[in-house]
Amino acid sequence: MRLGLAAAAVLAFLLLPWVATSYVISLAFALFLTAALAQSYDWVGGHLGYMNLGHAAFFGIGAYAFGIVFARGGGLPLAWAAAVLLPAAAALLMSYPFFRLRGAYFALATFGLVALLERLAGNLVGLTQGSEGLTIPTGYRLYPAYYTLLALCAALTLATWWLSRSRLGLALVAIREDEDAVGAYGVASFRFKCGTLTVSAAVAGLVGAVYTWQITYITPGDIFSLEKAVGPVVIAMIGGSGTVLGPLVGALLIEVIREFLRLKTQYLALTVYGIMLILVGLFIPGGLMRLRRHR
Amino acid sequence: MEVLLQLLIGGILQGGIYALGAFGLSLIFGVLRVLNVAHGDFLILGAYATFLLYSTLGLSPFVALALVFPAFILIGMAVERAMIRPMRAQTAHEFLVASILITLGIALAVEDLLAFSMVQPVKGIDYSLAPFRVGSLVISTLRLLSLGVIVLLSVALHLFLQSTLQGKAIRAVIEDREGAMLAGINVLAVSRNTFGLGIALTSAAGVFFISIIPVEPHMGLPLTLKYLSIIVLGGIGNLPGTLLGAVILGCSESLVGFWWGAEWSLTVAFVILIAILLLRPKGLFG
Repeated sequence: MRLGLAAAAVLAFLLLPWVATSYVISLAFALFLTAALAQSYDWVGGHLGYMNLGHAAFFGIGAYAFGIVFARGGGLPLAWAAAVLLPAAAALLMSYPFFRLRGAYFALATFGLVALLERLAGNLVGLTQGSEGLTIPTGYRLYPAYYTLLALCAALTLATWWLSRSRLGLALVAIREDEDAVGAYGVASFRFKCGTLTVSAAVAGLVGAVYTWQITYITPGDIFSLEKAVGPVVIAMIGGSGTVLGPLVGALLIEVIREFLRLKTQYLALTVYGIMLILVGLFIPGGLMRLRRHR
Repeated sequence: MEVLLQLLIGGILQGGIYALGAFGLSLIFGVLRVLNVAHGDFLILGAYATFLLYSTLGLSPFVALALVFPAFILIGMAVERAMIRPMRAQTAHEFLVASILITLGIALAVEDLLAFSMVQPVKGIDYSLAPFRVGSLVISTLRLLSLGVIVLLSVALHLFLQSTLQGKAIRAVIEDREGAMLAGINVLAVSRNTFGLGIALTSAAGVFFISIIPVEPHMGLPLTLKYLSIIVLGGIGNLPGTLLGAVILGCSESLVGFWWGAEWSLTVAFVILIAILLLRPKGLFG
């Protein structure tokens, strides 16, 4: 039943470009982008229980690495590789100082990472063109970008489903619930934390590269904006952090609301975000996917 | 040499302003176990309140402080009652997540509403006092007076925590929440009062902030980040350590700003944070 629904959804999205206008396709592209970021965030944020507000930093490293290599004529394969490997390497290095922090401190320190990278991207003009923004050679790439992200979203959801019933997933949830007890049982929690963050960062970098590839113009203010930084966290929380489908449900809801706001008003999108955060925090801290189980 | 002295004086004042807010964040975290992500935004709100009082009523920042401080005690208490206390029923992990969500929500809404409601969001006040000279050194009277009031406030806070009943209750709850409950301390009331006090301290920092530097709404979250570096630097709940951490941050920012440009100041805070985490994970004095 569930499998049938999932197959039907994937099939519908596969065939969508034949029936829909390019406006609908770019909406779906935006939806996949948020969903992929939220899903990859949630491995660290939901399953492992470390609230990584710096997920957008890895997204941004990927976006810039791809853009810089591609704009300088490095070729596509090298650009894709850079966009995956650089964020992963950054995550590996950041693990050492950051996983000394727990809880709220980890969240704020990773949030600082986004602010730091925004300054770096703005200040290192020679590399990133600074606040003027980086442009890559254009081309009509909406359809290949759409399919890339569709495949990525499907793969991520499958991976999360596997994670939720594997020993690895069990270890992550155990670390979330009581890290000291896990250590006492002889599980080297640092390896799990470091590995999960690295894989999650690599995925975020890949999504960033697809973003640059399709949009062709990026600025520090756009890539490292507040909205991009809190987006994956908010979406995973609203949908249900630590569940397989939660990030997808959250992404769908947020994208519908965002498009509605865009049609109605240009402003106050962050205010709506903020009020939704407060309401979710107060009334459904487990997210929409957990509403059912409580009743 | 004189340049260096000027920079250090500027840095110490900036550090004092940081310290006021960081005391508040540290106390709130110690008592409520909530990391108040919206902390920097309450500084911005305090700064805008000062701007309003100055531009409409012509009140000097020092008079404004006397109005802003009590007003923000009440605002803080109301926020605690309405949004923080209802989360208490949840488990530890859920409480942490929900508290970050809610305070982040407050921060986003406050910043966006402030930016939206103003045609020109960057606000500064042109209040100034005649500077005076010591030898060849020119010292701003306003800055020195601000520093004096900040020192007074810090000393008052220290005395309040050390010798009044409410202050002792706050320290007891920081030490051991359950133990404080057993000893008959009304932990809910202490939490509410601490939140009010912490918010009022950061709004007071905002009063001095705007008399020296123009503010704009989106400075809030980076400020919270600087506060975090400071309390990690000084150790949580350690007021003298926090003060020293704030002065270190203020001075290094002022020196870096002079040599490389002000746009690098947040980078400095972050590099300090990482270095401390690597070398002394429990804080410099922890």
